[in-house]
Amino acid sequence: MGGTSQRNINLKLKVWRQKGANQQGHFEEYDAKGISTDASFLEMLDVVNQRLIKEGRDPISFDHDCREGICGSCSMVINGNPHGSERSTATCQLHMRKFNDGETVVIEPFRAKAFPVIKDLSVDRSALDQIIASGGYISVNTGNAPDANGLPVAKVDADQAFNAATCIGCGACVAACVNGSAMLFVGAKVAHLGLLPQGQPERNERVLAMMDKMQELGFGNCSNTGACAVSCPKDISFENIARMNREYAKASIKKRS
Amino acid sequence: MAILDGKVPPGPVAEKWTNHKFNMKLVNPANKRKFTLIVVGTGLAGASASATLAELGYNVKTFCIHESPRRAHSIAAQGGINAAKNYQNDGDSVHRLFYDTVKGGDFRARESNVHRLAEISPNIIDQCVAQGVPFAREYGGTLTNRSFGGAQVSRTFYARGQTGQQLLIGAYQAMMRQVHAGAVQLYTRREMLELVVVDGAARGIVVRNLSTGEVESHAADAVILATGGYGNVFYLSTNAKQSNATAVWRAHKKGAYFGNPCFTQIHPTCIPVSGDYQSKLTLMSESLRNDGRVWVPKNKDDKRSPEQIPDAERDYYLERVYPSFGNLAPRDVSSRQAKFRVDEGRGVGPSGQAVYLDFRDAIKRLGESVVSERYGNLFEMYEKITGENPYQLPMRIYPAVHYTMGGLWVDYNLMSNLPGLHVLGEANFSDHGANRLGASALMQGLADGYFVIPYTIGHYLASTALPKVTTDHDAFKAARADVDARTQRFMAIKGSRTVDDIHRELGQIMWEYVGMSRQETGLKTALEKIPKLREEFWQNIRVSGDATGTINEELEKAGRVADFLDLGELMARDALHRNESCGGHFREEYQTPDNEAQRDDEKFCYVAGWEWKGEGKPQELHKEPLTFENVKLATRSYK
Amino acid sequence: MNYLKSSIGRKQLMGLTGLLWCGFVLSHMVGNMLIFMGPDAYNKYSHALITNPLLLLAEGALVVTLLVHIFYGLKLKFENQVARHTRYAMPTNGEKAARAHSKFMAFHGTLILVFIVYHLVTFKYGTHYVTNVDGVEMRDLHRLIIEVFQSPGYVAWYVLCLIGLGFHLSHGFYSAFASLGFYHPKYSAWLNQLGYVYAFVVAAGFISQPLYVFLFARAQ
Repeated sequence: MGGTSQRNINLKLKVWRQKGANQQGHFEEYDAKGISTDASFLEMLDVVNQRLIKEGRDPISFDHDCREGICGSCSMVINGNPHGSERSTATCQLHMRKFNDGETVVIEPFRAKAFPVIKDLSVDRSALDQIIASGGYISVNTGNAPDANGLPVAKVDADQAFNAATCIGCGACVAACVNGSAMLFVGAKVAHLGLLPQGQPERNERVLAMMDKMQELGFGNCSNTGACAVSCPKDISFENIARMNREYAKASIKKRS
Repeated sequence: MAILDGKVPPGPVAEKWTNHKFNMKLVNPANKRKFTLIVVGTGLAGASASATLAELGYNVKTFCIHESPRRAHSIAAQGGINAAKNYQNDGDSVHRLFYDTVKGGDFRARESNVHRLAEISPNIIDQCVAQGVPFAREYGGTLTNRSFGGAQVSRTFYARGQTGQQLLIGAYQAMMRQVHAGAVQLYTRREMLELVVVDGAARGIVVRNLSTGEVESHAADAVILATGGYGNVFYLSTNAKQSNATAVWRAHKKGAYFGNPCFTQIHPTCIPVSGDYQSKLTLMSESLRNDGRVWVPKNKDDKRSPEQIPDAERDYYLERVYPSFGNLAPRDVSSRQAKFRVDEGRGVGPSGQAVYLDFRDAIKRLGESVVSERYGNLFEMYEKITGENPYQLPMRIYPAVHYTMGGLWVDYNLMSNLPGLHVLGEANFSDHGANRLGASALMQGLADGYFVIPYTIGHYLASTALPKVTTDHDAFKAARADVDARTQRFMAIKGSRTVDDIHRELGQIMWEYVGMSRQETGLKTALEKIPKLREEFWQNIRVSGDATGTINEELEKAGRVADFLDLGELMARDALHRNESCGGHFREEYQTPDNEAQRDDEKFCYVAGWEWKGEGKPQELHKEPLTFENVKLATRSYK
Repeated sequence: MNYLKSSIGRKQLMGLTGLLWCGFVLSHMVGNMLIFMGPDAYNKYSHALITNPLLLLAEGALVVTLLVHIFYGLKLKFENQVARHTRYAMPTNGEKAARAHSKFMAFHGTLILVFIVYHLVTFKYGTHYVTNVDGVEMRDLHRLIIEVFQSPGYVAWYVLCLIGLGFHLSHGFYSAFASLGFYHPKYSAWLNQLGYVYAFVVAAGFISQPLYVFLFARAQ
């Protein structure tokens, strides 16, 4: 057996095309014909692009790299949902067997003021890097580290920190958020570092600096809609946002009282 | 031919690095800020080097092709990172890690480098933990380890199946801290297209801004390449789509020697190709072979569903050929055996390019819940990609390219033969010989970046006269002109084939003739086919869109594939010249009666360093002889 | 950054003021249930409230918190609209949909604001009937209520606004706790359910009053 359930399907794509950040975008329609249900969503776009190139047209630009769901490059909003409708899945791991023959698929870039479109479906997410740069680290110069087992970490804390650390920085949380907020991204980093003993010395400064940076960069404010967490390909929990709210209040009192 | 000098320091192997650190010249703290260093690449090696050099006080300019430095392909490493911590009290030591790595590399690595790597390995774990890398822990709060292939001790630190991601995020955060401090200037979405050599030394690079198409020049006192491996020469590999060899290849064309290009590692358990639209391959952790049994049908063209094939008609070939190791035979051996079965016409699945990895007996023996506990996440990933449930049907797997041991030749200081050009991580050839052990790639990348280059580059800067060079220098103008000319040439071809089309064809040639097992006739065929394909490429590709103003991925790919075509040819030439089998390089003519790799230590105990001699001319071979004073040359046996 | 200018600080003010009002609407709803007990019970209750010197303080607090809630609510809303200035062709949906009603808080909020103003004008500052219960002269609010709720239009408007209030509370209750930093993997699901029950009870309780009056109580 193996792959005998494979079929070929035809789709109609409505794809957002935009030449540059300051240009008007619009939807264009394309036929994706004879797509194997074993292909990934990005491979389906590859097939369409190969045809466009041969016709001398400009292929659809989209970010992608590892295609294993870990680098966080791929983005896109597919039929209204970041990374498509399947939960816990990045676009590159979304496969065409989840689509029906003859279906119309609407593909848009991640939309947020902080994520300007570079071209078509490709957006600039460097604002997330700027947030990390503002405080998303533990300040330890190379060579300064004590023995790795010198500071035991309770397994519960280590596991929780790990869950938060699995964030791939794709920005789906921002894209899903009706407010274009990056609270889940920031919350995950604050939790990852704040739950570990190594992260304690900078705990207060970190949450204040990262949140202030987030605001400064034009991300919106959280209204607890929860869309971020359900859209996250790595299932980062909404808990991280609540925890950060707590941490922020505490840090504000400590620092500013 | 010249003899290459690895500049290995004198003294006993265990003291070389310590002595060398003392003997190297230092740059005084106030002078460090007068030096500008370029780092290309932000994977483990590049990010850790950028962070550390900036902490030391150098001005660092860091470049990456991604929109964020956190997306470098180190992120995809699953298994773990080795370190000689001996936390398990099971007899590990620096010497044992050194020994295992030299032996695992089939005696084609430099002893001194490997020993240094083993010495540094414990510091890496300390550093990463201090940065907040959430390694797996015991309930008591201490770090835990697991075992990996090629070792009899438990020395692999891991973070679930995402060790690479967690280590990279650690290095990335350390680097972003320096970006914030202004010590690292970060240039994202920049692709290095030329190395600039002034008076024989590497003094800068020319890059293209991938978002705007603008070409920029950057001058520095030294250049560090940490741009990863070249597995994508095969088109299909476990490498990320953007992983490419352009930076190292352009450096090679400026005079840097390419070391052991034919040493590639093929991983035995990947999800097989499902169709001609396939864009890349996905690895399934090797750990699956602990409980899965590998088989193919005994009869050719057996089209039955696997569960309908009775045991009597199954060939559990690894258990048959290697009764003592069975399904846990080493990577290279398992990969080759799978290829033999497929070549016999007994491959399975729609393409016939796969074998079964069956958990039926494990589920019977252990129960579904135990199997799910051990491999649940891998089973889910498999199901996501293939749509098949491995609890019910055996997995289909096939070997795939995933790492290249070869790379730019470097000396003990990680500097290539071109003064000032330093090469780190997978991009250099240095530490793994002809075969890399599992969980050693992450170790090497971070060792190079955190703990080697910060010392050795200081020595270079302190002991070299470096007159001021700006981007107005003629060498920069010439390099820019080369970039522009190449771009114009790509845009002007306006042929009928896409770049991917040619790349795919190159990949087929490489896989067929320069893949898992090689032979003289096949390599000669490759050496005929590749130049023809290159000609086709330069006459018939089509790059649509504009060269400037916005993203043009086709143009990016064209440049990379042009380099892969050259590199593929060199790989074939290197494989042809190396008349022996060692590690990942298996020449069918050189095998023991029981199909094991047969080295020829008399003739080939050296590193091949290839020198570029100009377009259309074959590279010249130089040799760095390898001596083994601490690990006795012996046949690598896993019987 | 000043806490009151920070994104989280303002959200927490929203949450705090919202929770205060959650308490108020619940007690208001429960107190008004006396409408079912007849005019005397109802008027005595309202008289006790009106004559309590602390009422002014409570009213002041309610007005201030409401103004804070409205001010920051609108400010955040405007900022959020800038942060996500372009809309998608379709909203998140299926398993990835946002929490029910969470995206329409400003909409219900505005409706509730209009309702509150109208509500105060109608009742608090409405016709001042007087009655005498147990020898004490007091305002006959009961009569006013019975009169007002004879109008089917007014009742419909009232019910509509209270449904809006229900939706607002159904997200607001849970959201306030989240903003203030409460989340627990187990108890949060429970809190979420409690939020829905609370919102339903408040809305249904309020709605039952005009409906009862309209259907069963006729003005004398």
